[in-house]
Amino acid sequence: MKIIKFHLNNKPVVVRADPSMRLLDLLRIHLHMTGVKEGCGEGACGACSVLVDGVCYDSCLTPVANIIGKHVVTIEGFRNTKQYRRIADAFADFGASQCGFCTPGMILNTYALLKKNPHPSEEEVRIALSGNLCRCTGYNAIVKAVLEVAEKGGEW
Amino acid sequence: MVNHHIPSSLKEALKILDAHDCYIMAGGTDLMVVKHQRSGLLPNFDKDVCYISNLKELQYIYEDEKGVHIGAGTKYIDIQENNLVPDLLKQIIDELASPNIRNMATLAGNVANASPAGDSIVGLYLLDAKLELVNVHGSRIVPIEDFIFGVRKIHRHKNELIKEIFIPHHDDLNTYWRKVGSRAAESISKVTFAGGYELDDDKVTDLRMAFGSVSVTVVRDREIEKKYIGLTIDEIHEKADEIVEDMEKYITPITDQRSTKEYRLKVSKNILKDFLLSIE
Amino acid sequence: MSHFKNSTVKIDNEEKMAGLALFTDDLPAKDFLWCRPLRSNIPCGRVRSVNVPKLPKGYYYVDAKDIVKENVVNIIFSDWPVFADRRVNYYGETIALLIGPDKQKLEELARMTQVNYDEEVPNFKLKKSGIHKEFKKGDLESVSNDYDYTLTETFETGYQEQVYLETQGMIMWLDGDKITIKASMQCPYYIKNAVVRTLGCDPSKVRVIQPAVGGAFGGKEHYPSMMAAQMATAIVKIKKPLKMIFDRDEDLMYTTKRHPSKTTYTGYVKNGKLVGVKAHVQLNGGAYKGCSGVVLARALIAVVDCYSIPNLEIEGDVYITNTMPTAAFRGFGSPQTIFAFEMFIEHIAKVAGLDPVEFKLKHLVKQGEVTAVNGKFHDPIILPELVEKAMEMSDFKHKYALYNKPGSNRGIGFSCFLHGCGFTGSGESTIINAQLKLTKDKNDIVHLYTSQVDFGQGNRTTLKKIVSDTLGIPEEQVTHEAPDTDHTLSTGPTAASRTIIIVGYLCEKAAKHLKEIWKPGVEQEWIEPYVGPDYIHWDEDTMQGDAYPGYAWGVNVVEVSFDPVTYQVKVEGCWSTYDVGHAIDDRIVVGQADGGLAQAIGYGYLENMEVAEGRFRQKTLSDYIIPTAVDLPMMETELIDNLFAYGASGAKGCGELTFVGGAPALGHAIEMAINKNIYKIPANPEYLMEVMENEDH
Repeated sequence: MKIIKFHLNNKPVVVRADPSMRLLDLLRIHLHMTGVKEGCGEGACGACSVLVDGVCYDSCLTPVANIIGKHVVTIEGFRNTKQYRRIADAFADFGASQCGFCTPGMILNTYALLKKNPHPSEEEVRIALSGNLCRCTGYNAIVKAVLEVAEKGGEW
Repeated sequence: MVNHHIPSSLKEALKILDAHDCYIMAGGTDLMVVKHQRSGLLPNFDKDVCYISNLKELQYIYEDEKGVHIGAGTKYIDIQENNLVPDLLKQIIDELASPNIRNMATLAGNVANASPAGDSIVGLYLLDAKLELVNVHGSRIVPIEDFIFGVRKIHRHKNELIKEIFIPHHDDLNTYWRKVGSRAAESISKVTFAGGYELDDDKVTDLRMAFGSVSVTVVRDREIEKKYIGLTIDEIHEKADEIVEDMEKYITPITDQRSTKEYRLKVSKNILKDFLLSIE
Repeated sequence: MSHFKNSTVKIDNEEKMAGLALFTDDLPAKDFLWCRPLRSNIPCGRVRSVNVPKLPKGYYYVDAKDIVKENVVNIIFSDWPVFADRRVNYYGETIALLIGPDKQKLEELARMTQVNYDEEVPNFKLKKSGIHKEFKKGDLESVSNDYDYTLTETFETGYQEQVYLETQGMIMWLDGDKITIKASMQCPYYIKNAVVRTLGCDPSKVRVIQPAVGGAFGGKEHYPSMMAAQMATAIVKIKKPLKMIFDRDEDLMYTTKRHPSKTTYTGYVKNGKLVGVKAHVQLNGGAYKGCSGVVLARALIAVVDCYSIPNLEIEGDVYITNTMPTAAFRGFGSPQTIFAFEMFIEHIAKVAGLDPVEFKLKHLVKQGEVTAVNGKFHDPIILPELVEKAMEMSDFKHKYALYNKPGSNRGIGFSCFLHGCGFTGSGESTIINAQLKLTKDKNDIVHLYTSQVDFGQGNRTTLKKIVSDTLGIPEEQVTHEAPDTDHTLSTGPTAASRTIIIVGYLCEKAAKHLKEIWKPGVEQEWIEPYVGPDYIHWDEDTMQGDAYPGYAWGVNVVEVSFDPVTYQVKVEGCWSTYDVGHAIDDRIVVGQADGGLAQAIGYGYLENMEVAEGRFRQKTLSDYIIPTAVDLPMMETELIDNLFAYGASGAKGCGELTFVGGAPALGHAIEMAINKNIYKIPANPEYLMEVMENEDH
């Protein structure tokens, strides 16, 4: 066990944990951040995406040792932002969330994309979301929603 | 009892490695899969782990007159976005794993993992990359093909760490890349191929061919390449089938849950021929 | 602002996007004990003994000896044991549950537990028929001796895994002497009935509540009954709250899949018409029959898709093999035969020297005609309109002419299809007997109670909308909570594309009745039983009659490109038109259309699952490949109204319809791109290489 210090949703956190523990387990089991989902446990589905210093990580493959001193944002933190609202409204408008299991990860990856590239092409959107599996929507509504929110512009 | 070491400097990391036999954890994207047990359980490590992901000293890219130096802790995403990096490597990274994995994983990790399906390794073989390994006593430089000797087998002494990957300049090398995955993104390769050539008018002055996923390591044979260097473009086109035949002995793929050996062999040959005919 | 004129934001939309929705594994479950299945590691044999290590305090071992009443899982044909008893019939069959507080300890105990078998020779071949069905239409013999062209071909389809993003999971606890269950599910009453049956307890002692469910697609129709029966057996013994959540590898290896199939057709063409078809449909049912008989029925009823063929001789078998049982998956048997027949009808047209497109259009069924099983297409059919629109959207004719030549490496194909909505035959009135409750409180808030599970389709919203629209009150004045069997009568399972056509219709009728008796400020209740069209008559034994209350229809067009170097296919475009009667909510129906087609495209060329020595070779989502966002193009969908007399505002079903035509449309496109016939899906590059290299194709 080691002392692990990091920022979670803009608040400093100190935990005693095994450094090899999956960030996913720390978040879900110990910190009750159940908006972070486990879909595959091997980095193949993106449901467990969290922002680490502004880019998306698969929390199922991240040992907590790797987030020492970093800023981690989960959907629980991100949902209070204006950026979330803009993305979520577009998702709602197009019906981009069906069963909802992939959606928090999808939204965080959308944000990470738009922050880096506010005006992506359709192809760039598809590539940016290519690690987030969705079995309900065929990605159609999701891609349309992301393109729409990008077109509306604004600060990311 | 397994111990977890989180050094705060390279020096400290090397001391730890000198004292303990460790798994070296960079981005975690391979090791955390291999050692995963069940959801909610700790990974199943049978020896110490040394975490190097946060070592700033290993995160750099710079160039000198000889080539580009990529620090072992540099993430794929930073390599992909850096202008000094050869296009071939960027092209490989574009199609490698998923965006999240590219944010987490390192090039050195892919090398140390030494999977025959490790895409970036194919590019590194083609570009004559060398590795700098360091320990508490000093460092050594090893060509990548001398470092990897089997499936997940590497010549790393227990106290060593890959410090950087060096890629010599290849200003005139034209490169070709083909990844055959099971889908258009986020796939583990069935076959990969990197090709390279240099031209002096219509004369081929350099020719390189490297396959991934079709043998226990990446396959490249400089003797075969030499045989055809110096020919004209037309001669290379004429001898395309002969070159394919020469290379075929190295293409010894297996059937597994992702593809068949017949498919891998046939497609490898098709791609090689496509590359050779693309030289112009 | 909405892009859909008649759409409202789904009830659960915001909580799902914000990560607030609680799925089974998200529910607070402090002090719950973990259940860890002990599974067979051979495909077939007698279990001589199980050596269980000494269990630490607080750990338990539960197996067939603990069964309270009946060791069967209540599925349509109940032959699947809750726990394997003295013999195992497939690799991965559950022998026991190891139960305790620490997962790591349970893994160790599982490793230490030794099962001693007398192994038997497993059967993986389609040779032992467990279910056989057959029927005839017209007189095939008369045409089989008098034809211009004939063709016999065999088509194969593979396993398909649902890959709902949330894996199977269940929690269970005792509330006094009442067993309470929350789980990732499709059918709360199936779970309840399974527990009641294995325990032999009073139905009032079992309560099933639905939390958020992360996708299902048929995969959570029957399997949760298995988990519930196992855990209920355990909870009676140890009286502690229990939790069982599958990791993805367990879900891939040990839960039910789509039936692999092999279908052989012989067709006879006379005077440019397909006058007769003989077919044998073979399904791999795995080790137990379960629901496979009904899957076979659907496969057979759809055996000539939406084409009118006067003379038929059809038979089908479900074969019992020592493999994981196969069960429900979107389409339920019909995707297999619709793929096969769509390919076959184009192939036979080519053999007869006829244009396959015109040939298909010439055979489309019309209102009043006789179905394959000698029922009648009672309602108006607008297939020609659907075809025309789809072709216009996709620029089909132009592209068809452009690509239809050797070496084009580009292709476009289309499929026409139907899907029978609701349970097969008179099942709705004889087996299910749905009853819907609508109450109104003193504040005139209307409460709708159904047992339909919303696992992403949006039916909680759609059904509520039917009630508010019918009553003419704002949507906010109606509630529709997720099902809880203590408050909800059974309106039947969430399956068989029955939710809108059956339960939606019930909602409309109940709301009409409530409106008639409406007294402001007074508590009121209305219970509406389902009464279907009285002209529906079906004989299950002879497979004759009206198979479904109504049919939904569709046309898919798919365009592909082909890489001759790697034999890889890229999907370049998808266009669809559907007649779902009437869409209560366009956005929700289009969502089904997009997702169904995406899943069907995956089925057609990507999703490969093989069995080796009784085990699935693809154990992870890196090996079992489903489409990502870059594997699919933007898909376009148009809905055309064709109101159904027995549907809410004319609505029929749409969940499965959107799946059944994707693979054959893709298949046709691939055939054009490679200029060869294909006989198998998934048409992955390995198979296409064989086709390209083989001169016989």
